[in-house]
Amino acid sequence: MTNPNPFPRRMSSFASANNGSRPVRSAGFSHLLNPSPDSGSHGSGASSHTGAPFSSLDAGAAHLGNAPHGLDEGRGSHRTSGADLPSFSRAFDMFTSKEPLLAGLNTTYSGVGSSASVSKTGFLSPSYLRGSGYLGKLAEQHKAKLMADRETTMSKGPSGTVFAGNTGNTESRSVTLHTKLPSGIHRGVALNLIERPPASAEFEDAVSPLPTRWNSDDKDHTVEVFGDGYEVKYTGSKGSEHEAGAIRADNPMPMQCGVYYFEVMVFSKKREDNIIAIGFETRKAQLSRFPGWEGESWAYHGNDGKIFASGSNSGRSYGPTYGAGDTVGCLVNFRTNQVLFTKNGEELEIAFKDPSFRDPTKSFYPAVGLKRPGDHIWVNFGQIPFQYDIDGYMKKQQKMVTDKIRSTDTANLAPPLNDTELIQQLVLQFLQHDGYVGTARAFAEEIHMEKQALNMDADVPVEGVNIKDDEDANNRQQIRRAILEGDIDQALIYTNQFYPKVLEENGQVYFRLRCRKFIEMIRREAEMNSSLQEAGVKAKSTSQGRHHTGNDTQRTYSQNPGGEDEMMTEGEEEMMDTEEDGSELRTGDPEDETMAMRAAGVSELCQDALEYGQELRDEFKNDPSHEVSKHLNEIFALMAYPNPLEVKEVAHLLDGKGRVAVAEELNSAILTSLGKSSRAALENLYAQTTVLLEDLRKDGGDGAFVTIQNILDDIPKAQVN
Amino acid sequence: MDLHRRVQSQTSSTSTATPSKHAFETRVADVKSPKSDINALILDYLMMEGYPKAAEKFQKEANLKPRQEDPTINARQQIQHAIHVGDIQKAISDLNELDPGILDSDPHLHFSLLRLQLIELIRNARGYDPSAAINFAQEKLAPRAASNEQFLKELEKTMALLIFPADKLQPDLAALLHSDLRRNTAAQVNEVVLQRHTERREAAIRQLVRMRAWAEASCRSKKRNLPDRIELGLNGDDNGHDPMVTT
Repeated sequence: MTNPNPFPRRMSSFASANNGSRPVRSAGFSHLLNPSPDSGSHGSGASSHTGAPFSSLDAGAAHLGNAPHGLDEGRGSHRTSGADLPSFSRAFDMFTSKEPLLAGLNTTYSGVGSSASVSKTGFLSPSYLRGSGYLGKLAEQHKAKLMADRETTMSKGPSGTVFAGNTGNTESRSVTLHTKLPSGIHRGVALNLIERPPASAEFEDAVSPLPTRWNSDDKDHTVEVFGDGYEVKYTGSKGSEHEAGAIRADNPMPMQCGVYYFEVMVFSKKREDNIIAIGFETRKAQLSRFPGWEGESWAYHGNDGKIFASGSNSGRSYGPTYGAGDTVGCLVNFRTNQVLFTKNGEELEIAFKDPSFRDPTKSFYPAVGLKRPGDHIWVNFGQIPFQYDIDGYMKKQQKMVTDKIRSTDTANLAPPLNDTELIQQLVLQFLQHDGYVGTARAFAEEIHMEKQALNMDADVPVEGVNIKDDEDANNRQQIRRAILEGDIDQALIYTNQFYPKVLEENGQVYFRLRCRKFIEMIRREAEMNSSLQEAGVKAKSTSQGRHHTGNDTQRTYSQNPGGEDEMMTEGEEEMMDTEEDGSELRTGDPEDETMAMRAAGVSELCQDALEYGQELRDEFKNDPSHEVSKHLNEIFALMAYPNPLEVKEVAHLLDGKGRVAVAEELNSAILTSLGKSSRAALENLYAQTTVLLEDLRKDGGDGAFVTIQNILDDIPKAQVN
Repeated sequence: MDLHRRVQSQTSSTSTATPSKHAFETRVADVKSPKSDINALILDYLMMEGYPKAAEKFQKEANLKPRQEDPTINARQQIQHAIHVGDIQKAISDLNELDPGILDSDPHLHFSLLRLQLIELIRNARGYDPSAAINFAQEKLAPRAASNEQFLKELEKTMALLIFPADKLQPDLAALLHSDLRRNTAAQVNEVVLQRHTERREAAIRQLVRMRAWAEASCRSKKRNLPDRIELGLNGDDNGHDPMVTT
């Protein structure tokens, strides 16, 4: 290779996307993808995969032997046009690696810092849309659908019915609680139902999906779709001047994303022979004609470099011609109503400007037209990184919008306050509202000091910031503190003492608190276990033996085979055993007393958790709510893990964030019971902004380019314990 | 979905009982405003704008892991305080101590501070001998103003304070004596220090507040269906929520 770095700079991220998930494979690709001036690393990269030091070019071709259909064509052209390779070998990488690559990309959306673009559940997240409100919404929809699918499958199976069948039974406490809540339980169920299929209100909110593949039901008979639906070939005969074969994508370009971009790679045999048209159109355009020749279609044609808008037959000179080996991108900017194309990563000028691109009654589909036998293309809808720096383009668009926002006057929000005063008020009111009494005081003092300093006239006294000595705020702060420290019992006591009705009236919150207590018990046990293990104690049996029963653990430490009950069975009696076990243990293990005592502590904790779990299950077993039984199953399953803190699938249940969530739910419930708004002004402002941005986003205008999350991402992380 | 949201929807369904509720308000009530986000905004604000005591309390009360220690927070507060009380000399020397290169790197900031110092000298000289102020202007400000037209105008305007009696000032001159100038200058200093030390100029909550104002204005200009006024609820103007804070 004469050029040590023949690949576009963006490829390195492609390689890193693969790293980790598929070590062997990525080693094989890295020599293709990772531009390295050091030729030695090429050799080693290749050999780890194929066993022979291929050059990147040969390695690309070598993969072709077991590639899917359609590739033999590519192989031939690869050889003939081997010279202009930056783009082309890149296109090949896609081919050769397509299968393992897409299968191996298991990073889900939200994967920060990852450039994987298709999750294992098939969710497509093009790099330039990550972090956008549109993609966030789409991801939510995708997740909801997956959940709904999973639940449907589960409820058909036998396991889903464990708790549902018990409704006939009665159990004193839960019944008293729930009968006081006339519609509470049903409300929960009803909400579940509403959330599954999109109700009309939600439907309105729903965003349309991204184009993901060519649509084999929306094509001319002269073209065929291959592979995963990215690849199209012309299979017709050489037709008349006016005929061609077009195909459209499965979904239209959603304008809520603000900017839409896709790239097409041309794989045809001979450069001079092919005639390709790349663009977009509505479904009104005839598929037997080139995009651009028809009404409501726009395209850039490769053979003459002209652009055609909505049936203009002559076209307009626009850019260079393109053909085999070239990559052409089409960029639609809904904010500016402009369209431009790119060739091999280079931006060309604005091609079209038409306000109808934002017409909400029209749907524009990415489209491609082929004309000559052997014409052959492959599309990138964002499933892999683009050649053109679309991320950079997007950032520039975002900056234009954030600059607009930066110069916005806030005087109308809460006259007569200026922005500094408004923010002080928002912060202070939030602190008071949420019961952060100490902070509110400290903040008020600091503001007061500021005001005094700014006071020009010694004769005018500075009005103090009066924090009402709010008993409620103090009470709520005490309750919150207890929860945040993990002391749920104390929180329950306080709550019943200060606000006796709140737990009765808020069955859900009560349930969450009770569950949290169980979680805290498991957490304490897990923490002690790991500290024991660190201390070198042979806690092996703890880590292996404890399944749904606590027996093994107990036996090991106490040599007491009593208390054989399974977790799911009633066992009031063995509660009594606990103390005995403890004392027996202390005498039974004299030489290593401290360790034994700590081990006993663990065993006791485990026993306690078990009993409490049974109590919990008894209390809520008659609750017909799906959420309740699901959550119970979820947290009971924690007992199956020797150290749930280290099992990432369940560790989140034990997370300290859960305390915050429960504390806030309870706080909201208390505020509501006091007739106060459950939200502070700052929270209103947050929620209002969310809704306003959603509205603004709909037509692909400025709102599509900003989110609240963008702002929050600027804040250095302050994590909850 | 999760129970939090369900609680939210319950409260919103009770409050939607009021018939006059606008569709927008209903949507707002259904949207999440996660406490973790709000807490992050609050802590960020307290740290960025220099409220160290409140920031410390808040980390404890909200059980937040301390953010990476900001070594400038106390110094920034001191400097802001000095400017607020009009002791610009102290502010400048504290600032030089905190970040020796800062004033040289930002002539605008340096000029703002010196001009404020001049204003304070004029303010203190009212009715007395103004020579200290005049000397200061000649020595410190005139050389800078010579090279910059904007500085020159500002300086001329400031010197006019010496000529007109305090009770007969034009509004733009009176503004120079108003406490807002101290406050704004202090904020300007704070921003520049932050920019140099944290790469961020201002607290995120300021951007959020502006985004809210911008989003509403944009929606209105597009004639989206909104209530006549979108209340923040700062004074407890919904649900009979008492004003808890009086200033």
